[in-house]
Amino acid sequence: MDTPLELTLEELRERIQAAGVTIPDHRLGMVRRLLSDALVHVRALDSRTIKTVEPAVTFVPAGGARHE
Amino acid sequence: MSDAIAYATIRELGARYRTRELSPVEVTRALLARIEKLDPVLHAFVTLTADRALADARAAEEALRRGDARPLLGVPIAHKDIYLTKGIRTTGGSALLADWVPDQESTCGRRWQEAGTVLLGKLITHEFAMGLQFPGHRFAPARNPWNVAHIPGGSSSGSGAALAAGLVHGATGSDTGGSIRGPAAFCGIVGLKPTYGRSSRAGVLTLSWTLDHTGPMARTVEDCALLLQPLAGHDPLDPASSRAPVDDYTASLGRDVRGVRIGVVRNYFFEGIDPEVERAFEEAMATLRRLGADVRDVTIPSLAATHSFLLILLAEAYAYHERDLRAHPELYGDVLRERFLAGALVTAAEYVQAQRIRSQICDETAAALVGVDVLATPTTPRPATPFAQAHDPDFGFPRSNMPPFNITGSPTLALPCGFSSSGLPISLQLAGRPFEEGTVLRVGHAYEQATPWHTRRPPV
Repeated sequence: MDTPLELTLEELRERIQAAGVTIPDHRLGMVRRLLSDALVHVRALDSRTIKTVEPAVTFVPAGGARHE
Repeated sequence: MSDAIAYATIRELGARYRTRELSPVEVTRALLARIEKLDPVLHAFVTLTADRALADARAAEEALRRGDARPLLGVPIAHKDIYLTKGIRTTGGSALLADWVPDQESTCGRRWQEAGTVLLGKLITHEFAMGLQFPGHRFAPARNPWNVAHIPGGSSSGSGAALAAGLVHGATGSDTGGSIRGPAAFCGIVGLKPTYGRSSRAGVLTLSWTLDHTGPMARTVEDCALLLQPLAGHDPLDPASSRAPVDDYTASLGRDVRGVRIGVVRNYFFEGIDPEVERAFEEAMATLRRLGADVRDVTIPSLAATHSFLLILLAEAYAYHERDLRAHPELYGDVLRERFLAGALVTAAEYVQAQRIRSQICDETAAALVGVDVLATPTTPRPATPFAQAHDPDFGFPRSNMPPFNITGSPTLALPCGFSSSGLPISLQLAGRPFEEGTVLRVGHAYEQATPWHTRRPPV
């Protein structure tokens, strides 16, 4: 089944429980909208159609890694 | 003090210092008096450093007597209160850090100090560069000098308000989703978000590591260029700091813009735009055409997914604040606390996908900037928001015209391009290729010099 683009209130409550944080009921609507507005683009994405391979990490001979 | 001194450009101040018409101590005393008079209403300052300012001013006077020619010598500035100041409290606009006195200085603060500036104090910021202070907060929010019933923008709210009111001649800002450019737009001043990596974030409180930028705010494009100069350059204390060569940022000012290709990004930036803002923007493009620029339309389709950047911002902000949020949730402002907690609810996969969307936006923006030299958009789709609206918890985190260039890290300038019928400033946004701050400053300067907007003063 496809994931709905909107974050449902039920899913939000599940995420809150999994994360072990406390968000009062009167702020759930605000948090749901905040996340939904951003998530809608990720959920609409077919990840296989994106050509970029980032995020990536590059390494240099002297050692150390850098996230690009 | 006359408005002529309060609103003098940095170049004018320097010239009058060197002819002994004015002295840094005299200007500093005058600004301290102006702050005392106006700031009880504006709340731009969270900490005033009068003794330090006078000591800096006396040192500048001494240097001037020796013939010191540094352009920022004796220039009164203040720092957004997320810039750490050694021995001076740094609150982050938060109750959590209300009495914190750091034992280190930000790199930007040190570089402006070495340039001979006069530190007047610390400027209020939205809490942790993210949350407007609601009624009952430990700190009052800054108010917009053009209309105190409106916000000055954020998060560099004090910086915008202080510059518009003639309380300082330069200020630092930081910009994660528009926090330099938003206050610049709402307050009718100039703000430059340099290329990611151009100006150090060392010693500046973090909001989101991969989106945070530091930069200067001022009243004119030339002042911004002068203030950027010492900030630019590699800093080993910031892992994102670039080793790219530093240009002379005032060198290209005054050159005409004939043949400069300006791309108006027609998708995304005009959705839900206020007609007065749209009209002012189109008139700005007409002015640039008259100056000889080649103005054409471009599109960057992936910008439709811009708002996914919020997943990156929230996840990174939560990573930074998690320990304090769990230990002292009561010390975070109402609404901001829940916004930060929302970062705990972003999954790892969603964070990665948002970064992949970001790469796509970067690629398409870079491609657009092959065909043109600068991108132009309205900085904000509407003028400054009233407090009554901004203090509604459900106002949320509205879609904005500024995050695309945090995503891409592009150098981006905001400067005045008109006023609404209610007397609030309207702003033009110019973005360039990475490390081409000189090009956006050149175009911005040409536009500014052809228009009167930067000469208007708020009714304070």
